[in-house]
Amino acid sequence: MAEVTRERWGSRYFFLFAAIGSAVGLGNVWRFPYLTYEYGGGAFLIPWIIGLIIMGIPWMMMEFGMGRYFQRGAPGVFEGIGKKWEWLGWWPVFVAFLIVTYYSVVIAWSLRYAVSAASMAWGVGEAGAAGAGSYFFETVLNLSSGPGALGAPVLPILIFLAFVWVILFFIMYKGAGVIGRVAVWTVTIPWALLVVLLIRGLTLPGAIDGLNYYLTPDFGALTNPDLWFGAFSQIAFTLSLGMAGMFAYGSFIAKRADVTNNAFITSFSNCATSFFAGFAVFSTVGFIMQALSVPVEGVSASGLGLAFVTYPVAISMMPAANAVVGVLFFLCLFFLGIDSAFFLAYGGVISPVMDKFGLSRIKATLLVCIIAFVVGILFTTGGGLYWLDIVDRTVSFYGLLITGALASIVVGWVFGAKKLREHINETSDIKVGAWFDWMLKVVVPAGLLFVVIYGGFMNDIPNAYGGYPLWAASMIWVILIVTLGLSFWLQAVKTRGPKEVSE
Amino acid sequence: MTTGAIVTTVIMSLIFIGVLWFCFSRMGKGGKWED
Repeated sequence: MAEVTRERWGSRYFFLFAAIGSAVGLGNVWRFPYLTYEYGGGAFLIPWIIGLIIMGIPWMMMEFGMGRYFQRGAPGVFEGIGKKWEWLGWWPVFVAFLIVTYYSVVIAWSLRYAVSAASMAWGVGEAGAAGAGSYFFETVLNLSSGPGALGAPVLPILIFLAFVWVILFFIMYKGAGVIGRVAVWTVTIPWALLVVLLIRGLTLPGAIDGLNYYLTPDFGALTNPDLWFGAFSQIAFTLSLGMAGMFAYGSFIAKRADVTNNAFITSFSNCATSFFAGFAVFSTVGFIMQALSVPVEGVSASGLGLAFVTYPVAISMMPAANAVVGVLFFLCLFFLGIDSAFFLAYGGVISPVMDKFGLSRIKATLLVCIIAFVVGILFTTGGGLYWLDIVDRTVSFYGLLITGALASIVVGWVFGAKKLREHINETSDIKVGAWFDWMLKVVVPAGLLFVVIYGGFMNDIPNAYGGYPLWAASMIWVILIVTLGLSFWLQAVKTRGPKEVSE
Repeated sequence: MTTGAIVTTVIMSLIFIGVLWFCFSRMGKGGKWED
């Protein structure tokens, strides 16, 4: 086997920015604030912080630590534990690949809206507020009647999607060194834009009412299992774990460098961003409540609805600087999304492909970019939004949680949680005790399986997901089974990449 | 803002600032960055 030097970040800060950028994404803006409001305001933050400490941070330490130990991406890590476990490294690679195929389309929508906002294409004032929904679903998406009616790709979205992949290629083809440098900008720019949006939000009438809905605690909600489900699921999704990428990002750390402190900084920076973004979002929600005289239930939303319908409504109703706020908001979404996208594509897919097949970085990057772009065309069609929702449910929910739980079990019980902890403690700024072993062996898998069963199986098995036709909803299980089968097939393929890695 | 909202804001801000300050103050005391 050839011996090669593993690529490196170039600086600890480049690594930290890349890891924080991968964790901080669109969900910080469009999911966390809504969940906080929905599940008891300030009371929600108690199980959220508990989930972060007992589940999120140990899981992140595991992915960073195992990547650093084996100096390989996810498949290489599990191949290192035992050849029979390699499939468990490939399954999250497919998760990452499918996520980035539709995530890049959402980034393309953000760019489309940044351009549209410059001319306030959906209108200003009450007319704009009334037309924001139809602008998104009809003008931008050309939404069809259902998942069976795909229609042709929407040309402007297709062009923006191609543009996104060209940007991603040029960021990724030189590897971790350049990714770290780019991440410094893709993390700081959205933070700066969030500050501007927060100032604009707080100076709008009604902002304080929105913040009261966001933060006033309802401690009675702590006895509601839905609140604990919401908090643990948010932690599971927000840290970009279970998508293979953090193993690769950890593998680009030198063997004598820190793991624990980096995991704490990455996790808490991500959660602080979520908390901060909530102020920008809910100050604006309060403004819409007052401007349109509607209750909070009528305007608070999560997911795509918040970003591409509710926020444009607010922008239309603003008394001044509508276009400026609109452009800044959608550029903020673009920057929040782009570093998560190159994390998914490079750490999640390209690096494992290079490790397995011995391809050069430029060939692997080009190959993955082209295939992901072609698959992503599905989501630019008239029926694309339905398929985006179904594939998101498949990989971003089931795929991520199941592979995360299995990975924790195999690392904790087969590789050995104590062995990993001792390896991490040898060089880390903060030493962790035996509590880590039990978090990794029991709490992380139990927490993830709780979310899968309570929020997934109990809903999607008795009823077709999302009210879609049974054949379309069944694609969830088909995709999971096919990607699992492909993972076993890749395990059987001979590894051609270098196995020995020098420092 | 309500008292509850203010208390939540203050406590969460202290947690985030405190933890991140502690983490950054520990940087370089364990592992060495060898790039």
